[in-house]
Order: sequence, then C-alpha cells, then structure tokens
Amino acid sequence: MNNDLPISLLIACFVGAVMLLLPHISPRRYFFAITVPSAFRSSNGGRASLRRYYAAVVCSVVIAVVLLVRIDQWSGALLPVVAMLAPAMLGMLAFLVERNQVAKASPPVGDVRVVELSSDDDHLPRWIALVLPPFVCPVAAAAWLRERWNEIPARFPIHWNGHNVADRWTDKTPRAVYGPLLFGGGMILVLILLTLAMFYGSRRGRQRNAIVKMMVAAIYFVALLFSAISILPVAPFSPSLLLVPGLLFPALLIVWVIRVLRDPSMPVDQTPDNCWYLGSIYVNANDPAIFVQKRIGFGYTINMGNRLAWLLMGGFVAAIVALVLTLPR
Amino acid sequence: MPPLAKIRIDLTSQVPAYRQIVDALRVLLVDGTLPPGTGLPSVRRLAMELGIHFNTVGEAYRTLAEEGWLDLRHGRSAKVIARDAQSAASPERLQEFRTQLRNLVAQMRAAGVARSRIAAELRSLLEGLNL
Repeated sequence: MNNDLPISLLIACFVGAVMLLLPHISPRRYFFAITVPSAFRSSNGGRASLRRYYAAVVCSVVIAVVLLVRIDQWSGALLPVVAMLAPAMLGMLAFLVERNQVAKASPPVGDVRVVELSSDDDHLPRWIALVLPPFVCPVAAAAWLRERWNEIPARFPIHWNGHNVADRWTDKTPRAVYGPLLFGGGMILVLILLTLAMFYGSRRGRQRNAIVKMMVAAIYFVALLFSAISILPVAPFSPSLLLVPGLLFPALLIVWVIRVLRDPSMPVDQTPDNCWYLGSIYVNANDPAIFVQKRIGFGYTINMGNRLAWLLMGGFVAAIVALVLTLPR
Repeated sequence: MPPLAKIRIDLTSQVPAYRQIVDALRVLLVDGTLPPGTGLPSVRRLAMELGIHFNTVGEAYRTLAEEGWLDLRHGRSAKVIARDAQSAASPERLQEFRTQLRNLVAQMRAAGVARSRIAAELRSLLEGLNL
C-alpha cells in the first residue's frame, strides 16, 4: 500500500467535512449565499435543499475514496491531488446548483438599510496598536541568528517532504539565512496595510471590528511562524513541529468564526443578491465600499466593481510576488 | 450621549433612493431631531454606509441645500443651518401638495384604511412634526 494513502484519504474526508459545514458557516441572513427570510432554512424547500446538498457532498467523498484507492498504484502526482480535492470541486458545484434552487424557491426579501447619521470620522480602535509588537519576533530572531552565525552549517535544509526528510538544501548566505525573516516581516507589513484598507474601505459595524481582530491574530501567527522557520538551521527542533501551530491556528479560527456567526446580535453587511456571482464574487459599481462582508464563511471580499479595489488587489499581488523573491531557492 | 438619528431607505422600493434620503432627512429637520449646527455624515461616508452611489447622496444633499436646510461648503461636511422664515406657499405649490395628499388618501382608502383612521394619522403626523 502506498504510504501516502492514509493521509490522502484523511485530507479527502476533511475537505468533505468542511464542505458539509459550508451552508452553516455563513451569516444567518443568507442560505446558500442567497438572502432569505429567517424561517426559510427550516421550511420544506430549505430542508430539501440541504438534503440534496449533503447527498451530493457524501457522494463526492465516496468518489474521492474510490479513486484514491484505485489509483494507489498509478504513477503521477496530479491524479491523486485531483481525487483528494474532488469533494471540494463537486461540493462547490452542488452548492451552486442549490443556490439557484434557493433563489427560485425563496420569497423576495426587502432590502432596507438603516444608517446612523454620525458626522464623526472613522477612528481605528486603540487596540490596533497590537499590530506593532509582532515585529519584535523577526527582529529578535535576526539578532539571535547574527550572534550564532558561526553555528549555522555551510549548507542547510530549506524544504522537507511528507516524511519529514529534507529534500532541498541551500548554501549559507545572508539571503538564505535572513530570507524567511524578510518574507515574514514583509507579510506582517502587507497584512497591516490590508487591515487598514479593510477598515477604511468597508462599512462601519461590529462585524468590521471582528475582522480586524482576526487580522491581528493572523499577524501574530505569521510573525511567530516565520521567526521559528528562520531559526531552524541552528535550533534543535523538528520542522514537523511547525505543523502543530500551522493546523491549530486555522482550527481555532474556524471555531471562532462559527461562534461569531452564531451570535444573533452580530450585524450583517447588506448587499444586493443580483451583484453576487457564483456566491462569492461581488461586482457593484454603485457601491462605494471596497471591501464587503462575504456570504460564504466569515470575512471580507473585495468589490470587483470598484476601480480602487483592482488597484489594491494589484498592489497586494505585486507585494506577495516581491516577497516570494526574497526567499532562498 | 443621546442616540444618533437614523435614516432608513428601502432599495427595493419604487421611490428613488435619493428621494427617500431627502424625505427621511426632511422629517428629521422639520421635527427638530437635527437642529441647526448639527453636522451630517460626509457624502462619501453616507453613500458607503447605505451602499449606494456617491452621486445619489450628493443629489439628496443638494436638494436639501436648495430648500435652505443645509450648508454645503466645499471641503466641509454638510451642516444643518437655521432656515429663514418661509413665506406662505404659492397657490400653485399648494395645489401640488393637495394633489399629492389626495393621491395618498386615495391609496389609503383603497387599502381599506377607515376615514377616521386617516384623519387621526394626519393629525398625529402634524403634532409629531412639532409644527
């Protein structure tokens, strides 16, 4: 039996489980990314949609398992990856089919907006200063590496395979040693700028502060992760240990997102149904918001109908490409 | 701190959004909820919060400025100003209001609202607007 089969099966089942949760990790105002009256979820039409969707996701997991077991002996890496992701692809297809059904079956919901007439300027919350301490991590790691420069081997590993065996090495150069720290520091900066853009480019409300808190947590995670990666050449710990925070952080994030979405007092950013494509792409040239709340999951997405959003996205992609170039090869 | 005044618009309504903003703000101006000196949100901020185009809010603010309710100096946010005493409406304007009221009352009667209820609603609105 292929050694990778158990982990491939586990990933396929995990993806399937996430897809099963998808209709439930959205703001309660939306069902399959369509605005519905609060009673629609428990109506016959709503329950039938959920049943059909669950059946489709379970079928996609079965298909993935059968494919993975059957292609166990096959050569090539692409097919197992496609099989592992089958629950995501087929599940998304089923989600979109049900989205159309819900749009037809749900009675129309009015689009009433209520706004406070406040002339106050937008002020960032005071706790936003918490984005600054994470910079200490890469700086401290850089200082530590500089002090132990002589202890760093002439060649050290920079990549490990699934069995925790190093499969790529690099020479000891300043770029190779400090590259992950530069990347981490750059990522922190990009995340801070993204947080500011999100704050000033979206509607006011508690949901906005919740997203900013999530971004601050992500900044701490990035700072700690890249600082830990950078000290690997001289630190006596197994790189596989990094998987623990790498899995723990997203897991905690999912738990937190579900808690936030279950909070009935959490406001929802209102957007018209007809400006959403495939349930996750928002295009509305009349809406001045650059960032709007997503309908699937919890977070913000950009308004593709806003030219500023395209500029921001271009800048973000350019920054990421520039940062990737700093990494050792 | 007293609660902030709110406006409500329905984007699925047949009434244009700009008209709804003008009407909602005028009610708050007439009943004194927004006294002279009160600052209103900038056009950008209100458009962002309502999720509608800047021009829609700009047009609503300009209409209210033309009616003498708002001061819209460039580079400053809109401010409520003390309105000069208005001379009595012209006969043509009065006729326009009468037509609007007649249409509204006809709609209410068609929807089954009793005459006495309509009269009570109109009285309560007049008293509520503090005129």
